[in-house]
Amino acid sequence: MAYAAEVKNIVKKFQSVTAVNDVSFSVNEGEIFGFLGPNGAGKTTLIRILTCLMKPTSGQASIRGIDVVKHPSLVRRNIGVVSQALTSDLDLTAYENLNIYGKYFDVPKKERKESIDYLLGKVDLKDRAKDLVATYSGGMRRRLEIARGLIHKPYILFLDEPTIGLDPQSRRVIWELLQKIRKETGLTIFITTHYMDEADVLCDRIGIIDYGKIVALDSPANLKRTIGGFDIIEVTLGNFGPEGMEKLKAMPFVKSVTEKDESLRIYVEDAAKSMPVLFEEFKKTGVIIEYLAIHEQTLEDVFIHYTGKTIREAETQKVNFFIGAGAPRRMPGARI
Amino acid sequence: MRALAVSERDLKRFMRNPFVIIASIFMPLMYLVIMGNSFQGELKHLPVLLVNQDSGPYSRRVVELLQALEDGPRTLEITRENDQKKAVDMVRDGFYKGVIIIPPDFSKNVVKNVEPQVGLLLDNTDSISAGSISGVVSRAMAYLKADYLAVRPDRATPQLRSIELYKKIDYDASLVPGIIVMAIFMGTTFTGAFSLVMDKFLGIHESYLSTPLTRFDLVAGTIMSGVLITTIMSIIVMIGGLMITGIKLAGGIGTLVLLLVTMVLTALGLLSMIFTVLGRADHPRIVGVLVGFLNVIFYFPSGAVYPIESLPNWLRAFAKVNPEAYAVHAFKELILKGSGFTAIRGDLMFFVAFIAFMLCLATLTFKRTM
Repeated sequence: MAYAAEVKNIVKKFQSVTAVNDVSFSVNEGEIFGFLGPNGAGKTTLIRILTCLMKPTSGQASIRGIDVVKHPSLVRRNIGVVSQALTSDLDLTAYENLNIYGKYFDVPKKERKESIDYLLGKVDLKDRAKDLVATYSGGMRRRLEIARGLIHKPYILFLDEPTIGLDPQSRRVIWELLQKIRKETGLTIFITTHYMDEADVLCDRIGIIDYGKIVALDSPANLKRTIGGFDIIEVTLGNFGPEGMEKLKAMPFVKSVTEKDESLRIYVEDAAKSMPVLFEEFKKTGVIIEYLAIHEQTLEDVFIHYTGKTIREAETQKVNFFIGAGAPRRMPGARI
Repeated sequence: MRALAVSERDLKRFMRNPFVIIASIFMPLMYLVIMGNSFQGELKHLPVLLVNQDSGPYSRRVVELLQALEDGPRTLEITRENDQKKAVDMVRDGFYKGVIIIPPDFSKNVVKNVEPQVGLLLDNTDSISAGSISGVVSRAMAYLKADYLAVRPDRATPQLRSIELYKKIDYDASLVPGIIVMAIFMGTTFTGAFSLVMDKFLGIHESYLSTPLTRFDLVAGTIMSGVLITTIMSIIVMIGGLMITGIKLAGGIGTLVLLLVTMVLTALGLLSMIFTVLGRADHPRIVGVLVGFLNVIFYFPSGAVYPIESLPNWLRAFAKVNPEAYAVHAFKELILKGSGFTAIRGDLMFFVAFIAFMLCLATLTFKRTM
């Protein structure tokens, strides 16, 4: 059986910068597959290759078994795309936006009208169908663009950072919408994001991508499990030196210790049982606890585990030495 | 047809932002009013026909004097023609600016001192050229008088009888064809390829590049909407120009149809050319710079404000491939002379070939991916 999308050894270079470096993965039919990584990691470049907007330097990619380089026009008929930038036409109404895109896909008039009515209802914009998109909020435009991506009943829907720039409430609306669409239609959805919670809530499987390479790929639960499934005690300590660190790592219930900024992340099997012992040890050696927090593992921890840094740190570093080849060249509202 | 959907999108967007269209109509009309009263200059290389029906010595002297004008200040470019009717027809068709006719009895009349006359038929739709030709031929006649007719100058003074082929056309009226072409050029710079440049600048193009739209759909669609908008604009500018200058269109429905065909073909030709030039631009600033540049290099050597024949050789050579020169010629023929299809056939044929070439080039050079 063909995968919904399959990528084999894709490489994309922009002059001396390798944006995507020998990436391989597959997307199953009906799943929500996510790419999680910082800005500049290569997510958008990959999505552009899969949606026939860019040609890879080498490697193969296919949608529904159709090669994206050899048969781009056939691939385009099978995909719906919601780009990172807001791309709906401000001078058209919501209805006109969908109607014209339906025509681009040769959707017959009657079917087009039915689809528009259905989709506008789905994204809760039926009452605003005749309003110019210029009067819409960012969240409304994004919902409209999701509807637009579905106007021709695609086989797979690609969404590139669909909630970027939206407020928390609008983000949740988008999540619910995508989950509802998948539940009702069984549509395969491919999403890129740099929001951990978004990837965790939405995706059946996640590929963590950094510097153009996939560093981990599995379901959110499995990814968390692979790094140990531990609780994390995050502490900032005073009067704590290398000797204390050695002792800490040697304690039987401590699985590992990592440093993050000025804090320590102590991975333990059971925080409730471990804490009294830890406190006793710190008290005995004169270590002062300045800050303490306990949390379960998140995808952030998975990301740190595989990349050695937080996603925000990764983004800051990339600004310094990585040309964001995949990012849109100019965003709406950019200064001329 | 997907290209029609591309056009529909473009047209809807323009209809909701009419300011650019209104400004682009107003500007050529302002140009007409301002320029109409402020252009002078000494002309060169004006093509005229010489029909010499006299074999006497004085007609040879007239020819020598005319040749001196051709060789010296290069005001005229003289071509000999034996058939007077054919010569007049060639002026009517716009190939020459006038005909100088030396009648069979010219030398005899000089000898007899019975008001010898040289005929001059002028294409007065080009008022500058006509005035200049009339002036230099009159001066040549004056030399003839000085050389040969010193004894009884008053009776034997050669008289120039100037005949205007068309009703009087003021200079501002002669600019009307040019401002129609200017309106078409302006229309082609903010429609067609410019729509795609703005989409690229705003990042909107990513959405439709991932649809089944082909390169041809995008090129043809945006050009179609551009042709429609530009043609409507040029009709409005033409009506405005005619009202301001008081020209009444000669010819009937046929002329109107030919005007419309010329407008559509000019718009199509310029849109295809601009698409080839701007197809890969991704910033409006690039468009601004290139449009200013293109406007200068195409408009001034088009014959819109100054006769092509009087331009330097290299500019005259450029005018042979300048689409605006063919458009200006066709509009002059149709609006100022009321000419028929024959007079503009060459212009229309040029445009058909030019459009086919540019449309192919625009489609081939347009980048479908990001």
